[in-house]
Amino acid sequence: MASAAAAAAAAAAEWEAAARKVLVARKPCFGLPTACPNCLPVLLYLRMAQVPFDIHVDTSFPDADHIPYVEFGDCVAFNNEKGGVIEYLREEKLVDLNSNDPSASSADVLATKAMVSTWLADALLYELWVVTDGSVAHDIYFSDLPWPIGKIYQKASAAYEALSLRLGDEVFLFDNSRTDVDALFLGHALFVLSALPETSVLRGTLQNHDNLVNFAEHHKVQLLEASSSSGLGSSPGPSSSTPRKRASSGQSYKPKPRAKKERTEEEKKFRRRAKYFLATQLVAVLVFLSLMGGVDSSEFDDDDGMDYEE
Amino acid sequence: MAAAVDPAADQNPKDAELHENTAEVDAEFTEDEYDEDEEDDELDGPAAAAAAERERVQAVFRRLSSDPVGIRVHDVIIKGNIKTRDDLIEAEVADLLRAAPTVQDLLRAASVASARLHRLDIFEAVKITLDAGPPELPGTTNVVIEVVEATNPLTGSAGVYSKPEARSWSLEGSLKLKNLFGYGDIWDASGSYGWDQTTEVGVGVYLPRFKSIPTPLMARASLSSQDWQKFSSYKERLLGLSFGLLSTMNHDLSYNLTWRTLTDPSRASSKAIRRQLGHNLLSALKYTYKIDERDSHLRPTKGYAFQSTSQVGGLCDSKGLRFFRQEFDVRGAVPLGFYNAALNIGVGAGVILPLGRGFMNSSSSVSDRFYLGGHSSPVCSLSGLSSLLGFRTRGVGPTEARRLVPKESDSDSAASLGRDYLGGDLAVSAFADLSFDLPLKLFRDAGIHGHAFLTAGNLAKLSEGEYKNFSVSEFQRTFRSSAGVGIILPTTLFRVEVNYCHILKQAEHDSGKTGIQFSFSSPM
Repeated sequence: MASAAAAAAAAAAEWEAAARKVLVARKPCFGLPTACPNCLPVLLYLRMAQVPFDIHVDTSFPDADHIPYVEFGDCVAFNNEKGGVIEYLREEKLVDLNSNDPSASSADVLATKAMVSTWLADALLYELWVVTDGSVAHDIYFSDLPWPIGKIYQKASAAYEALSLRLGDEVFLFDNSRTDVDALFLGHALFVLSALPETSVLRGTLQNHDNLVNFAEHHKVQLLEASSSSGLGSSPGPSSSTPRKRASSGQSYKPKPRAKKERTEEEKKFRRRAKYFLATQLVAVLVFLSLMGGVDSSEFDDDDGMDYEE
Repeated sequence: MAAAVDPAADQNPKDAELHENTAEVDAEFTEDEYDEDEEDDELDGPAAAAAAERERVQAVFRRLSSDPVGIRVHDVIIKGNIKTRDDLIEAEVADLLRAAPTVQDLLRAASVASARLHRLDIFEAVKITLDAGPPELPGTTNVVIEVVEATNPLTGSAGVYSKPEARSWSLEGSLKLKNLFGYGDIWDASGSYGWDQTTEVGVGVYLPRFKSIPTPLMARASLSSQDWQKFSSYKERLLGLSFGLLSTMNHDLSYNLTWRTLTDPSRASSKAIRRQLGHNLLSALKYTYKIDERDSHLRPTKGYAFQSTSQVGGLCDSKGLRFFRQEFDVRGAVPLGFYNAALNIGVGAGVILPLGRGFMNSSSSVSDRFYLGGHSSPVCSLSGLSSLLGFRTRGVGPTEARRLVPKESDSDSAASLGRDYLGGDLAVSAFADLSFDLPLKLFRDAGIHGHAFLTAGNLAKLSEGEYKNFSVSEFQRTFRSSAGVGIILPTTLFRVEVNYCHILKQAEHDSGKTGIQFSFSSPM
């Protein structure tokens, strides 16, 4: 507990020390300072808390999960860490609007927050990506990208959205019976989820649709794995692969395990010495080979002899 | 009509004698078949006839070595090509052969033609024979080109090569399909895996000549990824198309269309790198002019070399990367008398400028900037602007502190903060290298030699308005430099360099280390 308090204190000190905070968000459009539905709440939160900040527009990363983010001093609060920028600022007590009115029942606040961030947000996303012809999404996310990139991702996003709505809560895509479209999409989805790296844009976009991921998981268990648990995968059964994958499907950019970086000094020294040892061995072998074999380096000058005009 | 056999009467006596001799030789030619590759004396009949034959051939040689003997090529006959188109072979060598006025020139032209056809890399054997021309036309010859096409069009190769852009050597494997359509086209698919997790796969096609364009054309599509996480906190993924438009010995023009994605999975990058993360499209034209008069690539002892590379980005689209990048590289090698020693000197400079509206305050792309550092030897490769022995890869130049994550550790939170190396917009580097043989004969025979070197270099940032703070004297004052000695061992697999480097001058955040370093580069 003391360590967490120390970390929070360090963050607060950095926040106070920062002369000017910077919010990096997507571009302004439609009369709004930022048109992206994820960035606008953060901007309004900072404005309501009367925190002075500058806005920097990011035009080249439409599929990033970490945007919007707030920079203060050398620290950064990303949107894909610790539940989001607003959550982080609130928990670290850097910018806490709710502290002004402690009488507001926290259950009410949480319930309303849940309603806004799921029901309303879903409808907004549906309107943004599916109902309109995609021109609004294009203006917000892709209009500043050079043309081939924007079109590719826009189309893929629209396709995933449409498929997600088509699938809904059913088992198969069309009228609850198998079709070849199921096989086609299942093949695509399994490949994207299993083979593409975590940083892949396409994989991130697909993982935004939970029902599509569940569809892929469920059918993978049924069709590909011998020991399978029945049902739509709601049981945390003995099959080891499924629970882990569902846990990671919610977030696209999981924080990389930090333990890898904190090697002890001894281990680093040991590794360095081992590298030197191996390199010396290799060089010794090569020297032996070259001394015994002898290398005729003159044969490499052959090309210089063919001097003629083109 | 052959000019040699001119029965015109108004010739002075010397010419008459010359024509007499050539007429005699022409008589030889119409009778004998002269084979360029081998001397095959037919030994049928009694020994006296054979001796007479030999005597005649000797006479031919004497004539050839004394006076120029006129000849005219009547016809170029191509045999042995099943798949390869005739016009490809003719376009490569026919003009050369037809232009030869004398027999000596024709022999030279024939050997050059044979080399050119070998260089197409699609034939197993090439044989050029000078046959007698039609009997009614004396003084002419038919050139017969016999080619043997490769029976197996598929070849594979693997090797260890070093690329100047990548950090270290890489293992490359490639498959080549030669002459699929008969145009001398070479299709290849290659993959490479670098020691630093740089991977690349690509397919390409090479055409030696296309219709009337005399220079080779090349097209290549590739997908590659580079990991600069340790140095600059980002990873790069590239999907590119590259077209080689003009490629001669000195000039090279190519067009590249690349989609680059920069990501930072560790989320620890500094502000300057964070601003550059995302997607960008590079549409650039690159022109390289190269002269290399050195006597060897591996160990130059004499000569000079010059290379200039210009790149203009952002051609079609106003939203792609727009910049102008220029690099110069000059080398010289001077032989000293003793111990087969040579002094190599080189200077390189490069600058990158963003283009477009407000270019004075916009930033340059981090992937296109110049970086100094690394273990690669500046002597061998011509693009040696990036090597600065003794410093780590990308270990020199402007840096910025990485993201600070407030953690439990109260002390040392600033010390554990790494720094990102951002590269520079202006780079200058120079080196002087003295190579010499080692006293032991055993080493000399194996090609092992020693060298002592002195390298220096500096980077500066000019974009985002920094050029106002740039001063030449400050730039000169902050030049980094290192010196050292080493041994070079050329083996069949790679060229190994063992160097002891001593850092003479480095700036505060540079990562240079005094000590022993190994460097591997390709043996070619």
